[in-house]
Amino acid sequence: MTEPFAPRPITALVLAFAAGIWLGAPRAHAEDVTLTVWSHEADQDAKVAFRELAARNLEKAHPGVKVKITWYEKNPMLAALKTALPAGQGPDVYYIEPDWTEYITGGYLAPLDDLIDWSTIEDWARKIWVHNGKTYGVPQEAYTNELYYNKDMLKKLGVDLPANAQFTQAQFLDLVKKAKAAGMTPIAQGVGDRPFPGAYIVGEALLRKLGKADYEKLFTGKLSFQDPRVIEVFKWTKDLVDVGAYPKNFMTLKLGESHYYFYSKPLALMLPMGSWYTGRAFVPVEKGGQPPDFPLGIMQFPAMDGGACSQCKTSAIGASFGINAASKNKKLAAEYINAMSTPEMGKRWIETIYLQTGIKAKVDKFTGPYAAYFTELMARQKGADYFIGGPLDLVEGKCKDAFGQVLNAAFPGGLLTVDDTLKRMNTACYKG
Amino acid sequence: MGTLAVFLAPALLLYFGFTLYPVLRTFYNSLHTIGPQGVQSFVGFANFSQLLNDDPVIWKAVGHTAVFTVVATLADVFGGLLLALCLFAGAPFARVLRLLWFTPVLMSYVVVGVIWVWIYDYDWGLANVILRAIGLSAFEQSWLGDPSTALGSVMVTHIWKWLGFNMIIFLAALYALPAEVLGAAELDNCGWLAKLVYIMIPMLRATIVNLLILSFIGKMMIFDLVWIMTGGGPLWSTETVSTYVYKRAFDWNTFDLGYPSAIAVLWFLIIMAFVVVITRVFRQRDKLEF
Repeated sequence: MTEPFAPRPITALVLAFAAGIWLGAPRAHAEDVTLTVWSHEADQDAKVAFRELAARNLEKAHPGVKVKITWYEKNPMLAALKTALPAGQGPDVYYIEPDWTEYITGGYLAPLDDLIDWSTIEDWARKIWVHNGKTYGVPQEAYTNELYYNKDMLKKLGVDLPANAQFTQAQFLDLVKKAKAAGMTPIAQGVGDRPFPGAYIVGEALLRKLGKADYEKLFTGKLSFQDPRVIEVFKWTKDLVDVGAYPKNFMTLKLGESHYYFYSKPLALMLPMGSWYTGRAFVPVEKGGQPPDFPLGIMQFPAMDGGACSQCKTSAIGASFGINAASKNKKLAAEYINAMSTPEMGKRWIETIYLQTGIKAKVDKFTGPYAAYFTELMARQKGADYFIGGPLDLVEGKCKDAFGQVLNAAFPGGLLTVDDTLKRMNTACYKG
Repeated sequence: MGTLAVFLAPALLLYFGFTLYPVLRTFYNSLHTIGPQGVQSFVGFANFSQLLNDDPVIWKAVGHTAVFTVVATLADVFGGLLLALCLFAGAPFARVLRLLWFTPVLMSYVVVGVIWVWIYDYDWGLANVILRAIGLSAFEQSWLGDPSTALGSVMVTHIWKWLGFNMIIFLAALYALPAEVLGAAELDNCGWLAKLVYIMIPMLRATIVNLLILSFIGKMMIFDLVWIMTGGGPLWSTETVSTYVYKRAFDWNTFDLGYPSAIAVLWFLIIMAFVVVITRVFRQRDKLEF
């Protein structure tokens, strides 16, 4: 009996094909190592150049080593990490932020105390990454929450910035009203793609009103949102919302778009933002950057009446790097992180990215086209009493979800009353 | 047998690896809490109990998904039928219209989502610009920013994307109708409406049912468009079951896939039950091909 297909030749053909693929695959030399790195901030050229430079420096110092950086946007990277790490397929080094504590509790980050050269990292920045006595991340980006403004528009309103660059809460409300009456958008802000920008104003107001200790208690569930001081802050913020502080497209305006709104079109008086504002603003205009002649200024967030700490200010660590606990190249991974953290690289960070850093770097004199900006930024830090970490570093689970939906979006978006907002936040966050 | 095995093996491997194993694993996970480093502890039906008794968001998500599924499916399918009839009847510029109506089907959800977020933008979006231009500025809205309009706005986008697909299927089915039946109806002086109601629609019944079921199943799993346009907000007003599963799995500072798996399992069972019921209802009269 003849079969329509002879099985042996076909099986042999398939096996030969598979063997051909296997044999044809490029073979790695025993001494070759590829260090894999996953990093967010694919859209920020200066940061891409910074991390790629460190990679090339490491490759020069270690012939046979190749550093392969995969560039992501934040959400796709998070989704990739959360599936790759449990499957044992994660990269050697990956980008992390301090509120991503699940990578520590999940055991996916290696303790770095004995791996990293900590002499080049600021102590206060390292502390952010210390959990149960061990350090899990190397802080690279540091930032402060700033209130950027358009100097020309403020002048047009006939308002002078106080000597300490800080309005009172009544003066600030009045400023917003004046801007609105003059047909300006007072605050360019949008929450279309991030769970935090809408909470800048209320968050900084809460910090100044409550002081550092109670502020931390509020976002860790130990202080009620029904505290009278908290209610006062929310009422003031609601006044701002009701007079039209935010643009009408607040709910859909994305972070990058809010920058463009502020400095290009249609223009706005103020933009509350982390000092990583520079990453999007200080790029060529054709890439969506700020016009060279834009009259950028920085003011302090307003002081609250009877506030416990008017000089308080949020300082936080953003971009950091950690080493996969399952990496087989931990020492090399540490060398890559060390290569990004030398004083020279710290200086380079400040001079090319125009942003604070957790790396110890000495910059005596700022030069270049944005020197005036950096000088003003440093002036706004004088006398500041920093609260290290933002609210998102403190909240988690249901409270984090409520923060994004309620405090970040619905309340400043004018969808909720003060009472409703406080009830929802208490239900989600208060453990008392 | 050997040849058969060689040819079947790749497909079976892919099926087991990418369909059967993930489904079984999701069922398994739903009965466990998954701790650090994948350490699992059996919790029985605790995840389901929490889901059913102590999670207000899931019921909002179920409600929105149900509304989305029913409304968008009906609009999609019967809208597609109307467009197909329009072309079948020889509307002017039929070729251009067919191209225009079908083009959105070829776009990815990301592109469609981004385009429609712009269209809905309060300040410069086309929707409000048109309203202002025709003197209806009282109706301008933050379409995606208001809980009362957000879900409807996402639905409109979804319908816009899929109308063309249903139109093409219906158009093919209409051209496949036996010409002698339609001709006989015309000889009997049957009007356009009567021909549609008594002859064409009954003959399209199998196509309609198939499209309804496919559309229902697809919409019960809606994720991409909602995620791109609203992320489930504002105030969870566009949260669907799929976006909520994603949030619980990836946005809640945890690697525990137990609870999100429980949501996925529950929803999977609901969809399966729905498919079984619909299949039984229509099995007697139509051969379904989904």
